[in-house]
Amino acid sequence: MNYYLLIPFLPLAAFIINILFGRSVLKENAHWVSILAVAGSWVVAVATLMDVISGKTLNQNLYTWIVSGSFKVSVGFLIDQLTAVMLIVVTTCSTLIHIYSVGYMHGDKGYYRFFSYLSLFTFCMLMLVMANNFLQLYFGWEGVGLCSYFLIGYYFDKKSASDAGKKAFIVNRFGDFGFGLGIIMIFITFGTVYYEPVFNQAGSFAANTVNFLGYDVNLITLIALLLFCGSIGKSAQLPLHVWLPDAMEGPTPVSALIHAATMVTAGVFLVARCNAIFSLSETALMVVALTGAITSLFAATIGLVQNDLKRIIAYSTISQLGYMFLACGVGGYTAGVFHLYTHAFFKALLFLCAGSVMHAMGGELDIQKMGGLKKYMPVTYGTMFLASLSIAGVPGLAGFFSKDEILWLAYSGPSPVGKLVWLIGTVVAFLTAFYSFRLIFLTFHGKFRGTHEQEHHLHESPKTMTITLMLLCIGAVSAGWVGIPALIGDAVGLENWISEFMRPVLGHPEGHGTHAEEWMVMAISIAAGFAGIGLAYFLYLRRTDIPARLSEQFSWVHRILFNKYYVDELYSLILIRPTIWSAKNILIGITDAKVIEAIVNGVPNAIGSFSRQLRKVQTGLLQHYAMIMATGVLIIVALMLLR
Amino acid sequence: MQPVMPDLGPVFPETVLTVLALVLLLADLVIKRKETIGLLSIISVTAVAYLLAGSLGTTFGGMFISDGYSIFFKLIFILNVILTVLISVKYIQIEKIDYGEYYSLILFATLGMMLMASAGDLIILYLGLELMALSTYVLAGFMRRDVKSNEAAMKYFLLGAFASAFLLYGTSLIYGLTGTTDLKAISSYIAGHGLAGNPVLMLSLIMFAVAFSFKIAAAPFHMWAPDVYEGAPTSITAFMSVGPKAAGFAVLGRVFLTAFGSVRTEWVLILIPVAILTMGVGNIVALSQTNIKRMLAYSSIAHAGYALLGIISGTADGLSSVMLYMFAYAFMNMGAFAVIIMLRSEGFRGDNINDYEGLAKTHPVPAVLMTIFMFSLTGIPTTVGFMGKFYVFMSAVEAGYMWVVIIAVIFSAISAYFYLRIIMYMWMREPKEAVELTTSPAIGLALLITATAVIGFGILPSSILTFARLAITGF
Amino acid sequence: MISQLFFGYFAAVIIILSLLVVTRKNPVHSVMWMLLMFFHIAGMYLFLNAEFIAAIQVIVYAGAILVLFLFVVLLLNLREELQTNRFIGSWPAGLVIAASLLLSMIAALRSFVPGPSGPYTIALIEKETHTRVLGQVLYTEYLFPFEIASLILLVAIIGAIVLAKKKVRS
Repeated sequence: MNYYLLIPFLPLAAFIINILFGRSVLKENAHWVSILAVAGSWVVAVATLMDVISGKTLNQNLYTWIVSGSFKVSVGFLIDQLTAVMLIVVTTCSTLIHIYSVGYMHGDKGYYRFFSYLSLFTFCMLMLVMANNFLQLYFGWEGVGLCSYFLIGYYFDKKSASDAGKKAFIVNRFGDFGFGLGIIMIFITFGTVYYEPVFNQAGSFAANTVNFLGYDVNLITLIALLLFCGSIGKSAQLPLHVWLPDAMEGPTPVSALIHAATMVTAGVFLVARCNAIFSLSETALMVVALTGAITSLFAATIGLVQNDLKRIIAYSTISQLGYMFLACGVGGYTAGVFHLYTHAFFKALLFLCAGSVMHAMGGELDIQKMGGLKKYMPVTYGTMFLASLSIAGVPGLAGFFSKDEILWLAYSGPSPVGKLVWLIGTVVAFLTAFYSFRLIFLTFHGKFRGTHEQEHHLHESPKTMTITLMLLCIGAVSAGWVGIPALIGDAVGLENWISEFMRPVLGHPEGHGTHAEEWMVMAISIAAGFAGIGLAYFLYLRRTDIPARLSEQFSWVHRILFNKYYVDELYSLILIRPTIWSAKNILIGITDAKVIEAIVNGVPNAIGSFSRQLRKVQTGLLQHYAMIMATGVLIIVALMLLR
Repeated sequence: MQPVMPDLGPVFPETVLTVLALVLLLADLVIKRKETIGLLSIISVTAVAYLLAGSLGTTFGGMFISDGYSIFFKLIFILNVILTVLISVKYIQIEKIDYGEYYSLILFATLGMMLMASAGDLIILYLGLELMALSTYVLAGFMRRDVKSNEAAMKYFLLGAFASAFLLYGTSLIYGLTGTTDLKAISSYIAGHGLAGNPVLMLSLIMFAVAFSFKIAAAPFHMWAPDVYEGAPTSITAFMSVGPKAAGFAVLGRVFLTAFGSVRTEWVLILIPVAILTMGVGNIVALSQTNIKRMLAYSSIAHAGYALLGIISGTADGLSSVMLYMFAYAFMNMGAFAVIIMLRSEGFRGDNINDYEGLAKTHPVPAVLMTIFMFSLTGIPTTVGFMGKFYVFMSAVEAGYMWVVIIAVIFSAISAYFYLRIIMYMWMREPKEAVELTTSPAIGLALLITATAVIGFGILPSSILTFARLAITGF
Repeated sequence: MISQLFFGYFAAVIIILSLLVVTRKNPVHSVMWMLLMFFHIAGMYLFLNAEFIAAIQVIVYAGAILVLFLFVVLLLNLREELQTNRFIGSWPAGLVIAASLLLSMIAALRSFVPGPSGPYTIALIEKETHTRVLGQVLYTEYLFPFEIASLILLVAIIGAIVLAKKKVRS
């Protein structure tokens, strides 16, 4: 089953070819290499999934880079049920988004550069999910981070774009620092960084404590929380969520691929992958569940009032990622990964539709300036409508199944905070439905509110884009059918396939509740979804005067939400400004006092001048050289004999 | 005493090399195109490399040892010849020194190095060293019109003689003490007669350390290196910076671990300060260089310091890490010199660091390659230079010399400044004047080999590491 | 006693003569002192029962090499040579270093323990004759070094020719 190697290495090959020959040879055809490679990966990924379904899993070290004692850096692949699902998610989204980009990026001056980065990203992401050890996971993790940085700042001549890239990079440092510490802790504790021995032995360390910053902390809890730091950064959870909305400065296909479907879900993947560690620590699980729940509520409320098309979807992404963590935190790793999988389709679709709208609107992002687009771009409208239904949890569509499973597990599972997060989750379901349809109604219905010139220019997007939208739409509608809850499934004779499939890796907690309760939870979530849609319909199509009145009446609420709870301002106030202030005043003040200068400039200067002094020893005179040699001999002889 | 015909099998590669070098010397009379002689010399050493595999054994009463250790080093020497010839062909035409003897002398120097690596006796060691040294002195002074080249040859010759005197003095002391020049016999005599603390033995050890330090350009016996590297023809500088250094390490490892293995605690005390001083001087003085050949001379000094850590650790891992280091160094340094040599053209020296300003804009491919080599010399991961450093440092850590490694890492960090400065010049500065590059298929091949190896062995080091570890089993 | 006296004489004179060789301003004088030194070295060999080597020393070094030296020296511009200083300014420092090195070596050499002697005793050599013993050792036990030495000489010749005879092209 060694053909699985093609999965990551085809995109890598595409990257190399594009970066070497893209500018000079391929030019306008650069996309062919990348698309063929990624599509090839997809084919192999499907074949791999088939293998895994037939019961074959694999854990193989491909090659060892360096070995020193027990420390070993190697490239190895673990292909199990979790990996197989992730492979499908990554390669499918990546392939479709590559195709979409042909139309979207057409005529861009860095065409080949865009595709080579996209392929490199795909490679790193695949290495991340296929790793069989934490170091490789970490390299993949940093690799996708780096690609994300490149791609957010793709329009680097635009200052906001390069700033957003930097912001993403710096904010992620915070999380990755914890993640790195976690891996070091794992190596210290287990003496290895390979998944298999670590997960097998984790149980025997469950009772150990370790002194951390003066407190005795449970070792496993500490490791789990450190790893979760990485997840918080990468998956944009509170309090490190600030980079993701800004990351929308990147090209829209990038937002769809990296900042919705794949990279940001790496945090969820990490928690699911390390479920053996997380499950041992109730504290860690609780932290995960609460972080997820609070983030999802927090982001959903912000999403209610935003006007920037892509940012609304970005906040929706943060919110949905919170949902996934919520699921993992109550022990429903399968449900979390299931939601990750369905979310990848409908969220990528939402972004791509947004891209299609932007394309038609000439880059306009403000939904208040849109409206009535449905008659100009029927395909975009139709697919986006379905995607929104899916995210709103309308029964039968992908989002419904995964959301329902999460809510049921939260309600019925063993988690002490289960009921609380279930309540939050249900509220979020309502809010999600509301802001999703607010977006749809403001954009596609009603009258066009933009300029005349824009109206004249409105058109449906090219075929490469619309076809992709339709293909993704199939996923957004049907991806959930692999996980039909037992409640319904038993009735119609379908099993909850994905739960069974993932059970060997992720386990499957059974909810403790009656059928009646289960029906109730489902009914409430459906009701919440429809209520949200209904309210949006009422406010934005029927009584369009109410939203403005509301925002006036509750202006302080609106202001807080519109300004995203002032988190950016808060960070600016307590972190960035003090840093810059102290840099300017204290550091420069001390520099005036020659203290810092003495260290920062002084050391290199001292070495430099020492260097110039030492250089003078090299007089060029042979006699001096011989004399120095003799002096060396004399010193050594004296040292050795006078010991 | 009935003379017994010695087994010539183990020396067969050296014999063939001698014959081929002599044939090339004669062929010079009939072959007018000197590139042909270059090509022939590459073919010759390739044939010799092929013969090496079947040459295992000991002969001439233990004087000549052909083991895995020596074969590994011999492969480095042969690699060195191939790369040197490839970068020479065009260059020596520009310098108007394209004589056939140039190639013969390179082969003779290589023969000397091979004898050094195989020496089981101090006499062979000395003769091999002199054969190598004498050939390199001549090669360093090959540009007779050039005052700097003459000066380089003269300095190298006189200081080399000075160092040889130390070697001979050490040899005579050890002969007086033990009555033998055979390395294994010396070792057993020292152990059997309790000579371990003897001051005369110390004196002898110091003499050997000094002579070998001179060859590997370790401080304070490195003084010749910058002047000679700068003055010698660039191709020969490249040759000298790899071959004699590797040969020096080969004998250093052999003599100190075989003959003086039992007094390791003593010579470690000599080598540690030498290593630290070497890294210090090499890295610090390199900072203020303006000539790239001089800068690489100091860099070469610094690298000798790092590699010494492997000898200091004295373990099998340490020794194999030194072998790996020399192997890595051969590729990255040769690659860097190949780029330097391309800048030399008719009427343009191109050995000033400022000449690299904006090279990435005018000549992106050489700039990318130079960047790779500089990264490797700095020791950045995924290059072979990192692997070399990593294993040398790890072996020293495992042998308990953590503090030396910390110093080495600090100096290594300092070294990043002057290597990355070249990269900065190439990529971040505007080109001042159009630099014409001298290209040829041969130099292209050399660059291809070195760059592929630097990246390839940086990513897949296990093959060569396994080879190095295998080579020293039974050392 | 008498042998130690002889050794002392030869050793002392060799050192003094060597110093004279390197300190003379006139190269011709240096060569002459060197000639005298070579004879003393030959005397030392004689005194060590190495008659053959003593003879070689006189014939090769004193006879052939020094004559060659003299020829070369006569080609130099002696007047110019006489103008230049023999030593660089910091020679006293060098002297101090060399002297200290010498002293520490002498200090170390006090604990010298001679190792075992080889199989060729003086009596054996007398019986077999010098040339015969030398030949036997050189062409059996030390055949390999002998061959390498021949290569070194070859390289020296090539080097001399390349550096001196090749036409400088421009």
